[in-house]
Amino acid sequence: MNIIGLSNIYLTLQGREILKNISLEIPKGNVSVILGPSGAGKSSILKIILGLWKPQSGTVKIGSIDITKLSELEMLPIRKKMGIVFQGNALFDSLTVEENVGYFLSEQNKISQLEMEDRIETALSFVNLSGTNDLFPDQLSGGMKKRVAIARAMVFNPEIILFDEPTTGLDPINAKHILDLIARLREQGTTAVVVTHILNDAVSIGDRLTLINGGTLVESGTVNEMLNSKNEFVKAFFYEVYQDAELLKNC
Amino acid sequence: MEAFKLSLSKLQDYTFLVFDLFKGFISNLKYLQDSFKEMYWIGAKAFRLIFLGGLFVGIILAIETGHQLDLFGAKTLVGRTVALGMVRELGPVITGLLLAARTGAKNASEIGAMQLSEQIDALRAFGTSPIQKLVFPRTLAALVMFLPLTLIADMVGIIGGMVVTKLSLGVDTSFFWHSAINSLRLKDIVVGFTKPIFFGFFISTISCYYGFSTTGGTTGLGRNTINAVVVSSMVVLIIDFIFTKVIWELF
Repeated sequence: MNIIGLSNIYLTLQGREILKNISLEIPKGNVSVILGPSGAGKSSILKIILGLWKPQSGTVKIGSIDITKLSELEMLPIRKKMGIVFQGNALFDSLTVEENVGYFLSEQNKISQLEMEDRIETALSFVNLSGTNDLFPDQLSGGMKKRVAIARAMVFNPEIILFDEPTTGLDPINAKHILDLIARLREQGTTAVVVTHILNDAVSIGDRLTLINGGTLVESGTVNEMLNSKNEFVKAFFYEVYQDAELLKNC
Repeated sequence: MEAFKLSLSKLQDYTFLVFDLFKGFISNLKYLQDSFKEMYWIGAKAFRLIFLGGLFVGIILAIETGHQLDLFGAKTLVGRTVALGMVRELGPVITGLLLAARTGAKNASEIGAMQLSEQIDALRAFGTSPIQKLVFPRTLAALVMFLPLTLIADMVGIIGGMVVTKLSLGVDTSFFWHSAINSLRLKDIVVGFTKPIFFGFFISTISCYYGFSTTGGTTGLGRNTINAVVVSSMVVLIIDFIFTKVIWELF
């Protein structure tokens, strides 16, 4: 069953065509990875799914609701189903870790202080950051900031979490930690959409991969289907994986 | 022609921002706490600047007019000139221009940095209206704080003028006060204290608009911060001209 469906999406920003005729379906409970070179339009897809950007044409369905015609106010209940981890984390500089993680909960104002603290603690312990509640973002390392961003995205138990380049700029150990967190979220039944240009990350966590280039969808399928693709661009992009016999064996 | 279209487009976007600010007025009230913080930063922290600005303008006004009036044996009228000049024109305009620079730069750079680091997108993603969360507290703070700051500039300007008149021209302070107080009409006070409310509203909304429209990294942030200060300052002068013209025509 698909939880997100994009159909014939065209997006133009400041006269530049960003996405051209993108159709994509994201199954529930899976980790779907959107791959592609830098500037291919991957992050734009996340912003369209979240309703931050409106495409010029096409439909975006979250569940059974087409969000392209919804106002900001009508988008609120839809956005409650989704969390996002931005590429640069987008933590609020003036708030502590605890306030950042609990921001959405406090904005909603519908749960008690005790429950809020409990949820924040659970989220922080999930990302292995217990005890950092009173630190500010500029006191954290890159990997810690990313984990705070993940805790903030998951604290209200959304059905879908969107990850924009979650491992970019991290060292291999922190990157592995983030990928493990995404895998653990999948085990909990959360649907994850991950945008990345790092092939090994995509292959290691993705149930389905979608390759984008120049704003158009090149190919979509499981890891094996992509590895066996006859498309020249897919072959070229996956060349690195072809070279890694060990990884191929695991697939 | 393109530049004209761009200006119209910016004006339209600014109008939408102001419209959204008024549209969500009731729900804005939940950010009242943020307004108090802004009042501290925009108001209390600007005290020293406004104090010195008002003081030196009052002193200079007293010296310049005092020496001219002395030529005609009318130096006792310095109090009248300084009081009228400060309360009707120089107090509000100097306060407006100094705050256009200080508050305008603060708002545009803070919101611009948030825009560049995707914090504005994060607010929207977590169901918060950036207009309500960021523009309303800043505008309310400006509306509340610009008035007392103008009053301070007027007062220290007149007192500074009085001291300098006594020291350099030998005019007795009681003459100065008598001349100053008798010259002021209710109309002058109303005009002098209405201007800051308009200045506060336009400086705040214009600088927030430039913050939101920031693109192009740190260069773009610098450019938009300059534009926010320049446009806010120009608007202060234009509003001052309109007020002066209207008041002279009507009364």
